[in-house]
Amino acid sequence: MAEEGTTDTSHLYDGKTVRSSAPSRKKAAGRVSQSTAIPKDAVPETKVPTWVESFFGGPLVPSVRFLAPNKTVVRLQTASVTVLLLLGLVTFMITPSSGTAWFWFSNIIGVPWFSGIIHYLLLIGGVVVGAYGVLQRDQRMILASQVAVILVTIRFAGSKVEFAMEALNIGSELIQKLLLIFYALFLVMYIELSSGVIRFSMLDTSIRTREVYVMGQERIIQKYNRSLGTTPAIAGFVALITLLINVIIPAFVGFFDEVASNRLSESVELTSVYGVALGTAMVFGIIAISFSVNLPARIQKFQEGRAD
Amino acid sequence: MFASLAVGLYLLGLVLRNQQLVTVAVVLLSFLTYAAFRTTHADVASAGRRLEENDSDEGIQLGGISALRKVSSSRVFEDGEIDVVLRIQNRTPMPKIIEIRDRVPEVMRIKKGANYVLMELGGRRETEISYTIEAPLRGFYTIGPVCVRIQDTFGLFHNEREIQLYDDFLVFPKMEDIKDAMIKSRVPKIFTGAVNIRNPGEGSNFYNLREYIPGDPMKKVNWNATARSGGKMMVNEFERDAVSDIILIVDSRAISETGPVSRNSLVYSTRAAASLAQHFLARRDSVGLVTYGDEIVSIDRDTGKKQLYVILTKLAGAVAKGNTPLRVVTNRLMPHINRGSPIIILSPLEDDPTIIDAVRDLRARNFMVTVLSPSSIDFEFDARRLDGVGYELLKTERDILMTELRGLGANIMDWEPDMMLVTALAGARGF
Repeated sequence: MAEEGTTDTSHLYDGKTVRSSAPSRKKAAGRVSQSTAIPKDAVPETKVPTWVESFFGGPLVPSVRFLAPNKTVVRLQTASVTVLLLLGLVTFMITPSSGTAWFWFSNIIGVPWFSGIIHYLLLIGGVVVGAYGVLQRDQRMILASQVAVILVTIRFAGSKVEFAMEALNIGSELIQKLLLIFYALFLVMYIELSSGVIRFSMLDTSIRTREVYVMGQERIIQKYNRSLGTTPAIAGFVALITLLINVIIPAFVGFFDEVASNRLSESVELTSVYGVALGTAMVFGIIAISFSVNLPARIQKFQEGRAD
Repeated sequence: MFASLAVGLYLLGLVLRNQQLVTVAVVLLSFLTYAAFRTTHADVASAGRRLEENDSDEGIQLGGISALRKVSSSRVFEDGEIDVVLRIQNRTPMPKIIEIRDRVPEVMRIKKGANYVLMELGGRRETEISYTIEAPLRGFYTIGPVCVRIQDTFGLFHNEREIQLYDDFLVFPKMEDIKDAMIKSRVPKIFTGAVNIRNPGEGSNFYNLREYIPGDPMKKVNWNATARSGGKMMVNEFERDAVSDIILIVDSRAISETGPVSRNSLVYSTRAAASLAQHFLARRDSVGLVTYGDEIVSIDRDTGKKQLYVILTKLAGAVAKGNTPLRVVTNRLMPHINRGSPIIILSPLEDDPTIIDAVRDLRARNFMVTVLSPSSIDFEFDARRLDGVGYELLKTERDILMTELRGLGANIMDWEPDMMLVTALAGARGF
């Protein structure tokens, strides 16, 4: 039985409090705001992407909370930080401050050494912030680091390859370009690995919160690891062909006309950045043709036929 | 983002004549191209390219991936569970990393397992995904389609297809056990049943005493009462057992869905109608249902389990729509039902100026009217969508309307959100 004087009716209705008329209605009414404004929950939330998000096809820094990193994420973090350190080292070796905006600024103010400080601060800052971002899985830090590392390389420069360290004044064009490709590969791998850290953290969080179930997780991770090896190697090879177009074209022309070949190999345009542009157009033209003739599908069909 | 960055760096490199930037852009582009190549490669079998080559008797095909679904039940009550087993087959000899999402209605809750699976499925292999969904709200629902997504290992590109595999199921409104709603007809039907009505006749329950009329059987004489009455012979009268015609009228106008999705007048009304129908049909009464919204849908009176199933199906599919006045419903209904039959109206009693006239007409023709009115004002107020002044004003208007309806002799109950159906019905009966 309910105690005398109380209004609790839960003993009557299987523990459920039942009101024939709400005793607290006026009290409750008094608590609620009397404004005539539209309640917040009545208007659906709409997220209009900013022009930056529209340009990059989505939010740059999605705000996601992760659970503690698992083994795969830790491995990726380690690999990412290692690649970042290597990237920092290669950038330090091959990227001089000459031609940068801060080089121009320090010359204007008459303090030439100031450009070096800004240059290396950017580089070291990018590495430190990137490592912190990767370890903390903070996408803002990772993005800042990527911007810093790319910013360091943006400079007005001649078409010729220049190195920051005089000791690396290598004459061989092939080695110069290989170094450039290594630099580019480290940068791309850093971008991929750092985004891989975030992606696998998201996946792990989804698995642990039972949003998604993963079957054969180990095999999926193995495949990713294999791709981490093969894709950069192939990308590097394609890039090498593109960059060495000033060697490949004269060699090809040399079969027909040696004089024309010599002229081409001495062409300033072909050895400059515009030669690289030409090489890019040629290589990617071939790739585009292979896609247009549905080459991947044909390879697939061939492989399936062989497996049958 | 990668592509934008690559193109941006490439153009910037050309403008600044910076070979370093162009090299980065070229490596990025090569990286992207190879990833795209791998994605297209992997997706060939699921792109529907060889759709016509596959057998169509084992589930619906999509290239090399086929799906087949089994659901444990196609009819459940609210808060019931359905087990779903989705079988995925890879008919190609190539292994694939695929994401499978079996689309379930938004209101459903995944109780066990997962409908979203990432897996590596070997060539010519199959796997089963099983999960359990809980259906919290009545209605007609569909599970499907099955979304299959294949993406490259770096997550840069993806191809997504939908396997058009659907399974429909029905969620009936939840029913409460109403032990005794105490709604009885004053008009008997021609065959007797388990329900007593408020008229004297051949039955088992005592109704009242009256003076003996020649022709009454002697076994009906109440000798004790005769002795007390001072010489007049008194006989017992019994209530007539009969089957009642019960008409349930459910308001499914657009306004009846005012309030949160799971707590609004229509949800409460359908649950109450289902509970009442089950109760009366179990007593062998004849129950009919009318729902009105944008149109008037009626189920003719009938008895038995089949009628319950028909009513539940109609209630499950009731959609809040339109604004048909109650009087239009009652005018159409009245010529077809026996005078005195109980009519139970389940309505929020809002936005309809004909309510009073409709109830007056019913009462004038001696129908026993019970109005069970889920209070949508309270639903709105509880969800904090209504301010205090508005609430008080609307409540006052509602109270006035209810008082007026009570004055017409109808049993009215203001059904507040926390109140159980049995309590609300008891209130409607006035005890």
